Amino acid sequence: MKSLFLFMLLSFALTAYSQNYDFGKISKEELQEKFNPLDSSASATYLYKYRRTYFVYRQEEGFSIVTDVHERIKIYNQEGFDYANRIINLHKYHNEDEKVMGLKGYTYNLVDGKIEETKLDKHEVFNVEQSKYTDQEKFTMPNLKEGSVIEYKYKIESPFYWNVEDFVFQYDIPVKKIEASFEAPEYFNFKFNAKGFLIVNPKNTTKSDKITFRYKEREGGNGFGNGVVRTAYSSSNLDFITNITSYDLSNIPALKEEPYVNNIDNYRSAVQYELSYTKFPQSPIKYYSTTWEDVVKTIYTSSDFGNELDKTGYYEDDVDALIGTVSDPLKRVALIYSLVKSKVKWNGYTSIYANDGVKKAYKDHVGNAAEINLMLTSMLRYAGLKAYPVLVSTRQHGIPIFPTREGYNYVVTYVKLDEGIMLLDATSKFSLPNVLPTRALNWQGRIIAEGGGSELVDLYPKQDSKSTVFMMIDLEENGDIEGNFRSMKTSHDALTYREQYVETDQDQFLEELENKYNGLEISDFKVTNALDLSKPVIESYKFFKESQADIIGDKIYFSPLFYLRTLTNPFKLEKREFPVDFVYPSSSTYRVSINLPEGYKVESTPEPVALMLPDNLGVFKYNVLVTELAVQLVIDTQINTPIVSPLYYDTLKEYFKQLIEKENEQIVLTKI
Amino acid sequence: MFIKSVCTVLLVFSSLTIVSQENLYSSSTIPENLKKSANAVVRLNDIDVSLESSKKMVIKKKSLITVLNKEGDDNIDAYVFYDDDVHIKELEVLVYNKFGDLIKKIKEKDFKDISAVDGGTLYSDSRVKYLEYTPIDYPYTLEFTCETETGNTAFIPPFSPITDYFVSVETSKYTLNYPEDITIRKKEKNLEGFQFEKEDTIGKLVYKVKNIEVYKPEDYSPSFRNIIPKVLLAANQFTYEEVYASVDDWNSMGIWFQENLLNGRNHITEETKKHILKLVEGIDDPIEKAKIVYKYVQDNTRYISVQVGIGGMQPISALEVDKVKYGDCKGLTNYTKSLLEVVGVNSNYTRLYASPSSQISVDKDFVSFGGQTNHVILNIPQENQDDIWLECTSQKVPFGFIGEFTDDRDVLVVTPEGGKIKHTKKYTTNENSQTIEGSFALSDDGTIDVTANVVSKGIQYDNKYWIETETARDLDVYYKKRWSYINNITINKKDITNNKDSVALIENIKFLATNYSKKVGDRMLFNVNALNRNTNIPDRYRARKYPLKINRGFIDVDEVEIKLPKSYKVEALPNKVVIENKFGHYKEELTVKDEKTLIYKREFMVNDGEFPKEDYNGFRNFYKEVTKQDNSKVALIKI
Repeated sequence: MKSLFLFMLLSFALTAYSQNYDFGKISKEELQEKFNPLDSSASATYLYKYRRTYFVYRQEEGFSIVTDVHERIKIYNQEGFDYANRIINLHKYHNEDEKVMGLKGYTYNLVDGKIEETKLDKHEVFNVEQSKYTDQEKFTMPNLKEGSVIEYKYKIESPFYWNVEDFVFQYDIPVKKIEASFEAPEYFNFKFNAKGFLIVNPKNTTKSDKITFRYKEREGGNGFGNGVVRTAYSSSNLDFITNITSYDLSNIPALKEEPYVNNIDNYRSAVQYELSYTKFPQSPIKYYSTTWEDVVKTIYTSSDFGNELDKTGYYEDDVDALIGTVSDPLKRVALIYSLVKSKVKWNGYTSIYANDGVKKAYKDHVGNAAEINLMLTSMLRYAGLKAYPVLVSTRQHGIPIFPTREGYNYVVTYVKLDEGIMLLDATSKFSLPNVLPTRALNWQGRIIAEGGGSELVDLYPKQDSKSTVFMMIDLEENGDIEGNFRSMKTSHDALTYREQYVETDQDQFLEELENKYNGLEISDFKVTNALDLSKPVIESYKFFKESQADIIGDKIYFSPLFYLRTLTNPFKLEKREFPVDFVYPSSSTYRVSINLPEGYKVESTPEPVALMLPDNLGVFKYNVLVTELAVQLVIDTQINTPIVSPLYYDTLKEYFKQLIEKENEQIVLTKI
Repeated sequence: MFIKSVCTVLLVFSSLTIVSQENLYSSSTIPENLKKSANAVVRLNDIDVSLESSKKMVIKKKSLITVLNKEGDDNIDAYVFYDDDVHIKELEVLVYNKFGDLIKKIKEKDFKDISAVDGGTLYSDSRVKYLEYTPIDYPYTLEFTCETETGNTAFIPPFSPITDYFVSVETSKYTLNYPEDITIRKKEKNLEGFQFEKEDTIGKLVYKVKNIEVYKPEDYSPSFRNIIPKVLLAANQFTYEEVYASVDDWNSMGIWFQENLLNGRNHITEETKKHILKLVEGIDDPIEKAKIVYKYVQDNTRYISVQVGIGGMQPISALEVDKVKYGDCKGLTNYTKSLLEVVGVNSNYTRLYASPSSQISVDKDFVSFGGQTNHVILNIPQENQDDIWLECTSQKVPFGFIGEFTDDRDVLVVTPEGGKIKHTKKYTTNENSQTIEGSFALSDDGTIDVTANVVSKGIQYDNKYWIETETARDLDVYYKKRWSYINNITINKKDITNNKDSVALIENIKFLATNYSKKVGDRMLFNVNALNRNTNIPDRYRARKYPLKINRGFIDVDEVEIKLPKSYKVEALPNKVVIENKFGHYKEELTVKDEKTLIYKREFMVNDGEFPKEDYNGFRNFYKEVTKQDNSKVALIKI
């Protein structure tokens, strides 16, 4: 008896403190809360997010997928008002489209200690045709104030059951509670992929389900209009199992942007469901995807990929003419690579499938990434080379961790030669073998072999991008400097430079360069090898800049890198959650020679230094040599690893701090 | 015989067309001066507007644009807005290569068709069809043909041949046909110095201009909108969303606006009325009452824009705003005005052109319904002092503060007596102040420990008040950026007070920065100006084209006490600096208070104003000198 009493007390206490997440059951505590106790900087918080996605069957239409949504959001202050605006994207394709049903919403405010509710009116909800493939249902909650709690629910019904929207568990505001579930009949086999820094563990259960088919038959009568005609109804049941994965998460912190992160979505906690196969009773299995091999197979056998690769007729004459007398494989690659680059221009679209087809792309001189690089691969094969398409996910698209068809969105080309391997991308005029455009530099790509097998290839360049700067400077007694500048850039540094230089008006480019260095005055500006990709791009100019040294008493103080020195540390945050992304390995060298003003001699120079990052991540070397009339500065820096783990963040920040300090150290001259 | 002559005529005629067309389609025929610095060249732009009646207008546009490089892709301007009242009759693009050969034909169905909403708008019934074209090679030429028909005759397109910076014009032509019973008003701007042809007869107006070289942006210049050649046009009779108007001047425009778009939209529920009246109970001063109403609006509404049909110009009713508690500038202004009526304070709905970078006025002498305004604020007229202006879309700005968005410009005020042009508040140099009182102590290892009190007013308040609501993390980054010339900063205190009564933002900051000074042997060098260094020098131009325009003046006054490190004493101090010129002044002085204490005083003032372009270099030199002085250093030596 005693224990029963205790039990009751305990359960009573539990209910009293537990939240009520039923629609409309808003508590005063929720309305009174002034800030999120776990993150006081949050302008709003999802108090509750509910999502249930499940299948329904209708005899006339077959299966469709339904998602129930219910969200409750606390708005703490005006900065959080944007969370009262909601846009629901609805896909449409051919004559089928997704629909929103049963939208209901309320805003709750505490007025004189009482809860006041304001309903979202139907005419405050707008439907907009966003594009050919998307409609949008948009609304904003009425009567919003600082402290309001808003709540809405709706249902989306979609005929596209193979396309399940990702379950996202982390947002730019905190979430107090998430309940989500995905339910699919046993006939649908979905692949489950979790990503992000926050680990989520689903609970797997099953339940019995059934579909009832109803039949209607007319019977009786004799066919001559006599006799009684009856309509008979019968039905049969199909029993099956439904698999359920469900999630119950509490207190999920907000995800915040940091500098030098390639794509924050890589770290956002989410779960994807991708249909891998369907197996209906008395029907063969239909595969969508399940392993990388299947993914590759699905993509390879798709007519917009494999078939496009096999077409050769449209270019045969051109390629024959081009390589007819050339037998060196390397030369053949070079010729074909520049043929594609000059013939077909990239239209800015990423895809793993041809859109208008390689033939049309070749004819119209414009195509998407798949068309261009499938064409390139095909031509290389035609020329007898071992060339393969490589599936890539662009930086913007995120990192493909799990085998899904949607994981990749870009194609490049891989060539195997006796001399070694080569990655090619003909979408950029200025890219080179093994120097892919930045967008494609994202972890690993998947090479597709002729039989449909696949293997991974590291996309990051193995060779450093080198930048070498030579300067000859005359330092005047009044602190002005005058001199010659010459720089040489290779690989990605050259690619970036060429993209900017070639596509801008020269006057404008020059003005921008002058203004970048705050009033540097440039003359005799010259760029060599802007279009000759086989050589480093060389920039040279004469310059003049005022007041680059401090004159105090009879001494002159200056830092020998002058206007090129790094001024601020890119890493300002105290803490870091995500890896730092330098995009590609790079090294730079400065050789600066400074002629001293007449009548001055060197009093002191900074000490030489060599800074090393751990695990050979990077190096900085600094040295000043003094001769009678001149000073020589030599700096070498290297970043060897494109992606650096956040574990090194403090070290990296300190490294940059010391590097900047060294670059800013002063040489002192004194009057003889 | 007859046939033959027709044929000959046709032949001659067609060969003529071919010749003249070839000239324009091939990029080799572009005059050299038009290619200079150009991203695109308008070979021909021909706009033909037929105002058939006050209820119908047909606009035909044909343009030939040669794009010279990638930047110019944005200048093809191949788009058309439409809605229930604007019908597209024809839409087509032809693309030619550099030799003038036709390479592609794009039909209306191949245009992208999307809802035309910007970020701040929840819904608008306006849509846009635009061309997304990937060029194969440069240059290429695009021929855009478009015809639309509309029942809205309130906005007659202006003749505006220059569409953007870095776009030159070979020929631009504009024709307006109109019925004789309609009077067309026009205003020509910046036409001097161009090769213009004009034909102005009853029922027809034609403008033609040739050979305009590119416009290039320049720092501290008048706004693009105010320097380009343009002819504004409006009819004295027009229809807007099926409402007919006949107006001759700003006064009658105001009356029409009031009667057709504002009247009857000021009802407030009894409940809200009671609530508002209770809030102002016992207060007589109309300004105090207005403050209470303004605060009520700020606390209870937010900005959300919904534009449907006539809603492009007419505010949603006060009743509706009262219910949903949101609205756009029109709706929130009308709501505030309606609440002020309840408490017996008169105010006027005001249309204007909002733009923070430079002030753009409504033209006193040219009356038009649209095209000159993009925003609405509220005017509270005052008898013997300056009028009060209220920005009703912000929940944060103090009462009567409008800032850069709407300051110092002519605006249309809709009063019960009719429309009036008034001028909004100008923030003068001395009002836009920033005062720093601070101190820093330098230690032997080169660390500085800084305390600063920063008070910002006027436009300088406007530039900073938003930081009040930033999160601690963002604020930390903000200050590190503001003092980006100091490395290794750790911010220890950041108290921000937004005093809305005196319109002042007060920042109390403490920070530490290691290695602030540079040690060189026995010496230590440090920059005396730690808190307010000018680092930005206006851009240099090889040939300045536009006058120098300083939109707003400002004054910065700093006084900082500097404590020297234990083991060092002063070796050399920078000299006192006073610079005075027509642009403003700069004064800097470092005095020794005692052996271990220096006092640094700095005053930097720049006046607003317009100067001939020849003065630009002097102005730039002033900034260069200030930047140099802001970098002056003190040398200390070990004791």
